[in-house]
Amino acid sequence: MEAITITLNGREVSGYPGMTILELARESGVEIPTLCHDPHLAPIGACRICLVEDERSGKLAASCVTPLEPGMVINTESPKVVERRKAIIKLILASHPDSCMVCDKGNQCELRKIASDMGVGLVGFQKIPQLATIEEVNPFIERDLSKCILCAKCIRADHDLVVQGAIDYIDRGFASKPATLNDMPLENSECTFCGTCVAICPTGALMEKKRAYSGTSPVKVSTICPFCGCGCSINLEVKDNQIVRARPGAESAVNRGTLCVKGSYGYDFVHSAERLTSPLAKVNGDFEAIPWEQALALVASELGRLRRTYGPGSLAVLGSSKCTNEENYLLQRFARSVLGTNNIDNGSRLYSAASIIGLGAAVGFPGTTNHLDALEQSEVIMVIGANLTSSAPIVGYAVKRAVRSRGAKLILVDPQRTELASFSHLWLRPRVGTDMALINGMARVIVTESLLDEEFVAGKTDNFEALSKVLEEYTPDYVEGITSVTSEEVSRAARLFAEANVASIVYGTGITQHITGTDSVMALANLAMLTGDIGLRGGIFALQKDCNGQGACDMGALPNLLPGYQCVEDAQSINKFADRWGTDLPSDAGLSAIEMIEHVREGKVKGMYIVGENPALSFPNSTVVKEALASLDFLVVQDMFLTDTAKLANVVLPAASFAEKEGTFTNFEGRVQRVRKAIEPFGDSLPDSEIVLRLANSMGYPMPYSSLQQVMDEIRELVPLYQGIGYRDSETKDIYRAELDKDPLSKRRLFKGQFPSGFGRFHPVQYESPGETPSNGYNFTLLTGSILHHSGTGSKSSRSPRLSEFSPEAYVEIGESDANQVGINQGDKVKVISPLGEVIAAARFTDTLPEGVIFMPNSFPSTPVNQLFDIVLDPQAKTPALKTCAVKLERT
Amino acid sequence: MDKHQETAEPDLKRIEEIVSRYRDQKWPLISLLQEVQEELGYIPPEAIRPIARGTGLFPAQVQGVISFYEQFHTTPRGKNIVKVCRGTACHVRGGRTILKIVKQNLGVEEGGTTPDMNFTLETVPCLGTCFLAPSMMVNKDYFGKLAPPKLKSILQQYGSPGE
Repeated sequence: MEAITITLNGREVSGYPGMTILELARESGVEIPTLCHDPHLAPIGACRICLVEDERSGKLAASCVTPLEPGMVINTESPKVVERRKAIIKLILASHPDSCMVCDKGNQCELRKIASDMGVGLVGFQKIPQLATIEEVNPFIERDLSKCILCAKCIRADHDLVVQGAIDYIDRGFASKPATLNDMPLENSECTFCGTCVAICPTGALMEKKRAYSGTSPVKVSTICPFCGCGCSINLEVKDNQIVRARPGAESAVNRGTLCVKGSYGYDFVHSAERLTSPLAKVNGDFEAIPWEQALALVASELGRLRRTYGPGSLAVLGSSKCTNEENYLLQRFARSVLGTNNIDNGSRLYSAASIIGLGAAVGFPGTTNHLDALEQSEVIMVIGANLTSSAPIVGYAVKRAVRSRGAKLILVDPQRTELASFSHLWLRPRVGTDMALINGMARVIVTESLLDEEFVAGKTDNFEALSKVLEEYTPDYVEGITSVTSEEVSRAARLFAEANVASIVYGTGITQHITGTDSVMALANLAMLTGDIGLRGGIFALQKDCNGQGACDMGALPNLLPGYQCVEDAQSINKFADRWGTDLPSDAGLSAIEMIEHVREGKVKGMYIVGENPALSFPNSTVVKEALASLDFLVVQDMFLTDTAKLANVVLPAASFAEKEGTFTNFEGRVQRVRKAIEPFGDSLPDSEIVLRLANSMGYPMPYSSLQQVMDEIRELVPLYQGIGYRDSETKDIYRAELDKDPLSKRRLFKGQFPSGFGRFHPVQYESPGETPSNGYNFTLLTGSILHHSGTGSKSSRSPRLSEFSPEAYVEIGESDANQVGINQGDKVKVISPLGEVIAAARFTDTLPEGVIFMPNSFPSTPVNQLFDIVLDPQAKTPALKTCAVKLERT
Repeated sequence: MDKHQETAEPDLKRIEEIVSRYRDQKWPLISLLQEVQEELGYIPPEAIRPIARGTGLFPAQVQGVISFYEQFHTTPRGKNIVKVCRGTACHVRGGRTILKIVKQNLGVEEGGTTPDMNFTLETVPCLGTCFLAPSMMVNKDYFGKLAPPKLKSILQQYGSPGE
């Protein structure tokens, strides 16, 4: 590509063909004001503020849409340019209210900034009457279209970035404005309140609600969203130790200026009045606030007593998929070197252990095999067992962009009609829990029709013979019998997937939360390896539910694996850590999360230390889990809130929130990103890392770290995946070097199709019924899952005033004909009963579910759906089945 | 009289049928909207979602196009469309009085439709027949050199005026 040289303000500069004048100017450090331009959006040249003059012809052109031409002589500040620019600003201001003094956009208003830069004060034109404010009752976004300058940024962001389509221009001329369908309030439209339009709006036309007139914040802290596993970058705006606003990080390669409703508005749980402010000790059944020293001494002495009396195996630690890498690293070291047990696990056991094991065995790497950008560039994307709209919104945006902007074809596999169904080329609706038969069926078509990448299979994989033998049975007809997906559709999906040059697979808890989860993950890996779409091109994208599910596992908060997935039973690995820590370490695998509960019930585990997890709600069969936890000799829970689990504790330690501490999160792609402190810890709460270190001290085994940077240095040394990140840059005050965000992803990737062990291994897997089918009067299949406005067990999101106002309580989604059969009307309170328990929620009619299937969200503490589930584990991943069970319904 | 004008509910089946004919066309939206309007007399709001589905657009985008063009109507219109010219030539030759009397005859304001759905009254900036001023159109027929006494009989050709 030949460079194009132009003269810009008297200086020669070069750009590439297709580059606009604006892009080159910004690259060359020349500032041109704009109102409708955004690097993430295609330019439209609407506002005309970016006019520049070509001195050869004297012509004015909008620099954002004018490509470079050789020999251009551009002046960005010529008298003519300045005169026109002022005129345009004045015209815009003539239809803009004079409310700058009381507008919450304050100094962030781009219109005001440009006007003051250009010295435009009084307009002198006759004012044009403005459009009225639209009253909205939603708790998130307020539209004051009198301040709208028709730059169309909100509309373009809505269409081209988040691909939601809630708004577009309505009407013509003076009357035109951005509006929803039928000009309804946002809450009655398709709007998801992702907040992307609010962040991109150059004026005060779109603003956060309930934050009116908080003014401009002097402090902006770039950190990572604490909700799902996407790892979106957010900028927290802070004033007087309060977070007043969260805006998407525009630079982030993950979210690229977008967010979801949780990221934009959910942070307010940080300021919830329910936050714990000091350590609590249970005295005669009631909690009493006690000082930290006393609390730590009590915990240390009790844990010490249990270890001496019953041995280290009587203790168990549950780490958190919501805590930072450093915290999980410290916690697993605490468990192993201070308590002397491998009984450590983390909350991601409940949803992603199948990925760690399944992908680990098949491709040699326990996680997503490519980055999000590669997903968006795929020709065919298969989304299976994942409602991206609610569980990984940013991945959903990427898939929708791929379909709409790049013409990618989406194969959606989901019994539920999710939002993505309307974007799908092919939507397969297997019976609940039969996905694996479908995947095997697709693999068989690929093998029998010779659609596989033979070179890849021959050169890079092994065990193909065994696979093809097992696949023989999975004829399209056989698969149709199991899944109810027609044989023709199975073949079509297989051909579509195999014939694409680049194909990717995205999967979530619909795959991993069945007892056959690990096998299903392996089946997906087989499919990807057959066509070679595993990293060099395409990839497998394993979603994470929590902000650091991947990192907690990477850090070895696992009973059988040390940091970096080094096996505890491997002498070389355990010795490496024992030498580094200068202590003996236990070398037999410990208990996984659910096994801990089983051992508590058997009286073998006497004391537990639970950090940032809420098993009383998140584990199946809550009744039994709560009984078990209550029966412990000693339970210490470390959390931000008095959760259902914390209520059972002997001692509760108050933890700081994500906004009150430093560290790193690893997102589902494996990207290690900085979490930065924005405000001081609430009350006497402390960062989890600090608590673990103090506790180790109190137990008489201090861990030799004086800063988190030293922890990261050690991680870097001992965890191969994290080499090359996180050392200190003495020039900056940051504890980590600035480029941490540019983590060399290649280390974690299967770039060029190279498997870590040289070969990918096919694992022939057989379909087995998930065993949760309706029977004995339990005639409905219950599906559970996350919803957009909440996450996890709802500890955080239910305490976010705005999220809980908008989505206050659980519900039962049911098809109308099913409801009629049971005599249930819309809005009726319905009792959902399984052999193990019952919950009550209001019925909500839907046409998205197959007959006989109902859906309930599992993120409402007041409606603990998981208590309907029995404890049944995936034998390999030890993940409990939490996706589906048989229930019956009663009207209350 | 067209069937749709008697029933309150727009005929979604007919809309779907029209949409299906455009499914594989490139940039079909304007012609599709024109055909829906031709068939139903207007574009009911209920048609927006099926049209959006069929064309791969967002409903808000379809609404944007409908509301942008003068030619598209979102409320039911009369069987006969009366367009009174408000151009300069007509104005100086008494166009304002013509409009006033048409309004009286039909019993509706500009943009209004008679309760029997027989007439819709509109005005246009210029019909391009200034030599016939003052003029108006009913459906596709021109009527020029109008005088107040002529109006009643012209309108009666198209059925009873609304009163």
